[in-house]
Amino acid sequence: MSDFLIFSLTIAGIYAIMALGLNLQAGYAGLLNFGHIAFAGIGAYATGISTAAGYPAVAGAALGVLVAVALGWCVARLGRQLGADYWGIATLAIAEILRTVATNEDWLTGGAQGISAIAFPFGQLSKPWGALAFLALVLLLLAAVAAAGIRLADGRFGRALRLMREEPKLAACMGYDLRALKSRAIMAGAAATAIAGSLYAHYMSFVGPDYMLASETFMLWTMLMIGGMGNTVGVITGVVLVQAAYSLVPFAKDAFHFGSDLAGALRIGLIGLILLASLLWRSQGLIPEKLRKIP
Amino acid sequence: MIPVTSTALLEVSALAKAFGGNRVLQDVSFAVGRGEIVGLLGPNGSGKSTLLNAITGFEAIDAGTVRYAGQEIGRLPAHRIVSQGVARTFQLPSMPQKMSVMEVAMAAAISHHGFWQTLLHTEGVRRAEDEARHKAKRLLHEFLLTHARDLPASALSGGQKKLLGIVCALMGDPQLVMLDEPTAGVHPNLRNDIVQALLRLNRQGMSLVIVEHDMHFIREVCSRCIVLDRGHIVASCAPAELSSNERVLQAYLGGGTPQKDHATEVAP
Repeated sequence: MSDFLIFSLTIAGIYAIMALGLNLQAGYAGLLNFGHIAFAGIGAYATGISTAAGYPAVAGAALGVLVAVALGWCVARLGRQLGADYWGIATLAIAEILRTVATNEDWLTGGAQGISAIAFPFGQLSKPWGALAFLALVLLLLAAVAAAGIRLADGRFGRALRLMREEPKLAACMGYDLRALKSRAIMAGAAATAIAGSLYAHYMSFVGPDYMLASETFMLWTMLMIGGMGNTVGVITGVVLVQAAYSLVPFAKDAFHFGSDLAGALRIGLIGLILLASLLWRSQGLIPEKLRKIP
Repeated sequence: MIPVTSTALLEVSALAKAFGGNRVLQDVSFAVGRGEIVGLLGPNGSGKSTLLNAITGFEAIDAGTVRYAGQEIGRLPAHRIVSQGVARTFQLPSMPQKMSVMEVAMAAAISHHGFWQTLLHTEGVRRAEDEARHKAKRLLHEFLLTHARDLPASALSGGQKKLLGIVCALMGDPQLVMLDEPTAGVHPNLRNDIVQALLRLNRQGMSLVIVEHDMHFIREVCSRCIVLDRGHIVASCAPAELSSNERVLQAYLGGGTPQKDHATEVAP
């Protein structure tokens, strides 16, 4: 039981880092990034490929961050002439292209089989301690990403992002370069998400193309919408809620004796239900973005 | 009236802008001297707002040049023009829901502290933030918005949003401010405060271009008026000469009947 709890918390922590990365883009900057999971995939693959080549874990994570930031820059540039919604579709397409590449370029990514036997960083520790140490690392990184996110959002940069989200014309006439703001928001979100992807690959000791399924991006969006876009505490709440719903279904399966197929469908259905309920009764999310009081 | 000289702060020459077949601005040339307050008049649809948008980079111009302080700015994007020292307000400003009045004002403070400085919260950032906070407080006080500083900016009345727009324009210490109907929809008491504030800013050396329909306002504030009609400049004269200017009357009334003083108040 405690193993399962540690597992669920670790996964929730990793997803929370990805969700906070998306929050920087979607929550503060108002960017409809529907391909966000590609950044996590890049982090995971960079880790898989570089550790397989014998490089240390930190090098893999750093490579992931670099490539994800570079991709973020490209994605932001690509959106120059596109309207917000069309740009969203383009991001979805880019993530799908990357997934297809990962599935087919066997020499680099191991194809559909993926890359396995990625070293677990605390493997030498005894049974619960290794997992606990990893959980602590995840939570530490989550805290760092959350703190950075809050500081960015409350400060001058975040003010500019939030103004751009709501009143782009006003932001431009205050002298803000909207394109540069967008690129920076995307690149910063990409960096955090790549780290999360790298952690995920280490934790699962595996990376495969399914990590980059579009449904993963929409899962992150669901977490944001349930918790509250533009509010760090809200986003983490959303992640914990969705992860809890996800983790509880197997228990229900054992208690009510239904099959695995039904359990899988139930998971998605349950999350859909929570999303629907939150959209109907709390459209701003459980903990909505607040006005920031300046003394 | 300040003569058009090469030392003018803003020089627009042969500016043209069309939307499809609709030629909104044609061969528009004028200059604004340092310390001048120029009123921009004209009936609805004469191209005033488009001219403002073209000068401030919100509309790409088709032909002509715009020079500010001797430098060509006609093809720069809006944010670059602002950082050169040209600020503007909008006719119908819309303000964000999730930001307080104070936050919006602070966002308008021009500083070059971006992503990394904000993240690392450097000494320079802290100082710039303090300065911006003080300045925002002072300007909000000056434009009677202190009581509303913690409200969502979108909750302000139309007139108050205009005031906040002016506050935002002033936060960056511009040399030239272009105001699009600053007093339309503003309470008469407030209107007088705006007039006084603008005159005070002008005394400190700021140049102003003001789109306005209110003739009393024009007479009180402007040293010169430029009248646009169907995309052409038809007059450039002192406010007092407007009512006797044949072409101005024609622009507003479509005829030549002189109607003392109220001629230009016909347009809403």
